[in-house]
Amino acid sequence: MRAKGETGILSMDRRELLKAGASGLIAATLPAAAWGQTPKSGGTLLLSSGGDPPTLDMHQSATYLTEFVGSPCFSTLLRIDPTDINKLVPDLAEKYEVSPDGMMVTFHLHAGAEFHNGMPVTAEDVAFSLDRIRKPPKGIVSPRKGLLGNVKEVEAKDAVTVVVHLTAPQADFPFQVANPYNVIVPKKVVEPLDASGQGMKRTVVGSGPFKLSQAVDGQIYELVRNEKYFAQKAYLDKIQMFPIKGEVERAAALQGGRIHACFFFANESVLEGLKKQPNITSLRRPTPTFINLIPNVKMKPFDDIRVRQALSLAIDRQSFIKTVGPLAGAFYHSYGLLTPGSSYNLEAADMKQFAGYDTVPGVGGDIEANRKRAIELLEQAGVPKGFKLVLLARGDIPAFRDSSINLAAQLKAVGFDATVDVRDAGGFYAMETGGQFQCLAHSVAVSGSLPDQILGEGYTSFGGRNYGSWKDDSIDQAFRAQSTESDPAKRKQLIRDFQIQFMKTYYQINLAWVGYGAAYQKSVMGWTALNDLYANMQMDRVWLNV
Amino acid sequence: MVGYLAQRLATGFVTLFGVALIVFLVMRVIPGDAAVMMSGAGSGVVSQEELQQVRHQLGIDRPLVVQFADWATHVGKLDFGTSLRTGSPVIEDISRRFPYTLEIVVLSMIIAVGLGVPAGVLSAWLAGTWVDRILQTITIVGLAAPSFWIGLLFILGLVFFFHWSAPLFWQPIWMDPLASLSQLIWPSLAVGLRQLALIARMTRSIMREVLGEDYIRTARAKGLSERRVVFRHALWNGALPIITLIGFEIAALFGSLIITESVFSVPGLGQYVVQSILDRDYPAAQGIILILAAIVVLGNLAVDMLYGLLDPRTRVQGARA
Repeated sequence: MRAKGETGILSMDRRELLKAGASGLIAATLPAAAWGQTPKSGGTLLLSSGGDPPTLDMHQSATYLTEFVGSPCFSTLLRIDPTDINKLVPDLAEKYEVSPDGMMVTFHLHAGAEFHNGMPVTAEDVAFSLDRIRKPPKGIVSPRKGLLGNVKEVEAKDAVTVVVHLTAPQADFPFQVANPYNVIVPKKVVEPLDASGQGMKRTVVGSGPFKLSQAVDGQIYELVRNEKYFAQKAYLDKIQMFPIKGEVERAAALQGGRIHACFFFANESVLEGLKKQPNITSLRRPTPTFINLIPNVKMKPFDDIRVRQALSLAIDRQSFIKTVGPLAGAFYHSYGLLTPGSSYNLEAADMKQFAGYDTVPGVGGDIEANRKRAIELLEQAGVPKGFKLVLLARGDIPAFRDSSINLAAQLKAVGFDATVDVRDAGGFYAMETGGQFQCLAHSVAVSGSLPDQILGEGYTSFGGRNYGSWKDDSIDQAFRAQSTESDPAKRKQLIRDFQIQFMKTYYQINLAWVGYGAAYQKSVMGWTALNDLYANMQMDRVWLNV
Repeated sequence: MVGYLAQRLATGFVTLFGVALIVFLVMRVIPGDAAVMMSGAGSGVVSQEELQQVRHQLGIDRPLVVQFADWATHVGKLDFGTSLRTGSPVIEDISRRFPYTLEIVVLSMIIAVGLGVPAGVLSAWLAGTWVDRILQTITIVGLAAPSFWIGLLFILGLVFFFHWSAPLFWQPIWMDPLASLSQLIWPSLAVGLRQLALIARMTRSIMREVLGEDYIRTARAKGLSERRVVFRHALWNGALPIITLIGFEIAALFGSLIITESVFSVPGLGQYVVQSILDRDYPAAQGIILILAAIVVLGNLAVDMLYGLLDPRTRVQGARA
C-alpha cells in the first residue's frame, strides 16, 4: 500500500494486493486536483463518438458507444485508478477486505450514496447488480458473466456491507468488480424492467457523477452534473455527446471547434491530420483489443490441428500489421496472449515454438519456410490445393473487414482458394452465433488487461469469446489454476504455462493488437489516456481550461 | 376527375400493401433477426437458448402470417408499433426526423430548380457556344460526382479554409432558422447539385426540341422579342416534362438521402432507414419504408393531378381511361 500525491489518494496495485494477501484495504477518496493545475468548475464538455449506443444497459453491452454514455452516470464498487490501469481506487465501496483464506471479500459501501432517483444505494442493490451480471434473468444477456464466474454467492450483510463468497481465492477479483461495465443499478427500478423483458435498454438510473438528462437518438446524449453525488462533485456542468459515424467527419467537427474531444479514432491518416493541429492533442495508445483468426473447430477440416497450424503458418504477421495497422489501428503485437508490455508476456524466443508466430515483429521468422511447411501440413491433413475457404467478415468495421481481406490474400499463398463473405452486423452475428462459418477474423475488445480478464474472456471454453466453439477441459483447468493461485511467482509460471498450452492448440490465432486514438482540444484538462479504451471515462475529474 | 382520383388512390393502396408485404418478408429472410441484435450478440457468444428467449419476448417466434396480420392491423389504425432500438413509438421517431429530411429536400429542390431551369434554358438558347459548353461540363460533373463525395469536400473544405464546421445540435428551421440553415445548406447543396444537373440537362434537351417547332418560328416571324419567344412560348410549352421530373425527384429524394445524411450526421429519415435495417428493428424498418413508399405514391399522384391541371388534354384522356 502506498500514498500518492499530496491529495491523499491511496491505491494499491495488483501486486501489492497479492502481497497484502488477506488484508487488502483501500480507504481514501479520489484526488481533488491531481493534474498540477487548479481545476475550474463549470462548462459543457462537447464530445463525439461513432454513433448511437445500441442499448444503454451497461450489463448487456460491450461496446464503447454504451460505455462512454454510461460510465459517467454509474458507479462501480471499485474503480480503475484514473492514472494507472494496474491500480484501483474506491468508488461506491470506500474500503474492502479479503478474508485470510481469500474466499470472502467484504465491501463497505459509502454511507449516503444515492441513486439519481433519490433512493439510497444499499447492499441489496449491489447484490442484485452482481447477480444480474453473473446469473442474468430470463431475456437478459450478460457478456461478462464469466468474469464473475468464481462468485459463489453475494450476500447483503447489512445496508452498507456486502460480502462476496468465492469458490476459490482469486487475486484479480477486485479488478473484476471494477470493470467499468459492472455497474451498480437500483434493484427496485431494474427488477420490474427485467421482468418485462426491457431491461435497462433505455433507462439510466445510476449513482455516478452525472445524470442522463436527454437521449435523442441520432442527435444528442446529454448528461448533467449530479449535485447529490456521494464523492467529490464533477467539475463540468454538462457533457453533450453527438453521434458522428465517420471518423473524417468527427475530426472535422474537432478541428472546427464544434467538439472538445473524441476518444475513439482507428484510422491512422485521420489521426495524422489531427496531429498537425496546434490546438489539439492527439495520441494513440495500445488497448486490450486483439484481432484473432478464429477457425470453426466444429467444421471440417478445421477440427484438425494440422490445418489450424497451417493457417497460422500462412500468415505473415509483420505484413498484416503493416497493412491493416493504418486502417484499423492494429499496430501492435505481443509475445503471448496478453497485452503488449504485460509483465506476464512470454519471451521473443518462446514464440518460435508456435507455428507461424515467429513472424511477429522482433522474432525473425522466415515466412517462405513457414508457408512451405503449411503446404506440407495441409497435404498431410488431406486438404486439397484450391480448397475453398470463406472468411466471414463484418463489413462496417475495418478491424474485421480489412483483416479478412488481408488474410484471404495471405491464405492464398498456401493453396487455399480464400474469399471474404462480407455481411452487415446482423448477418455476421447471426452466422457467427449459429456457427455458420469456416473461419473469421474477430476484433475482441476487453476491458482490463489482467490475465483473468483477457484469458478468461478470450481463451476459455466458457469465456464469452469462444466463437470457434472449441471445448477443452485441460485449458479451462489451466485457467482456473492460475486464477486461484495466490503466490505471485507461482501464478506467473502458471500464466506462462497456460499461454503455451493454449497457443499450441491454435483454437484462436493471434494476429495483432489494436490501439485506439484519442484527440482533444488543449482546453480539456484532467483526463489521462490509459491503455484501456474503457477505463477512466467517468469524466468527473475532467475540466475545461477556457 | 373524381373517378380518376379514386382509381389512382385504390391503385396506390394496392401498391402500399405490396410494399408492406415485401418489406415484412425481406426483413425476415435476410440473415440475422431482431433477437440477435437485441441480445448483444456482438458482445460475446450468445447461446441459441438465450436467443430463443429473446425471440419469444419480442413475439417473433410466432408464425409469419400471425405476425404480419398483427402488424398490418395496427398499421391500419395508424399504429406503427414501438421501435425495438429506441423504445419510442415509430411514428414519434419519424415525426422527429421528418423536418430535417423535408428541409433538405425543399432546399435542394429550390437550388436545383432555381438554377437548373435557367441554366438549361440558357444552354439551349446558346447551344454550341462556349456558354453552352461550360454549362454542359458543369452538369456532367454534377451528374457524375456522388453527392456524398461532394458533401465530404464541403466538410473538409470548410474546415481547411475557414476553420469552420456546422453546428452539431439539430433544431428544426422554425426553432432556430439561422442555425438550421447553417447546418442543412451543405447537404442540400451536395444533393441539389445532382438534381440541378439533371433538371438543367432535361430542360436543355426539351428546349432544343421546342425551339425548333413551327410555332416558335411563327412567333419569331411575328416579330416577338426573343425573350418572349423563349420564356412565354417555348418554356411554357416544354414545362410539363420538367415539372414531372421535379415531382418525381422530390418524392424519390425522401428515400434517397441515406448516404448524404450519414456524411453530415443529419438525424433524418435516411439514417433512420439504415439504422433500422441494420439493427433488424422490424417495426421501425417496416414503418419507415411504408411511409416513404406512401410519399412516393402520393407524390406521383400529385404530379399526375398537376399534369392534368396544366394540360387539359391529359385530363380528358385520363377521364376516358
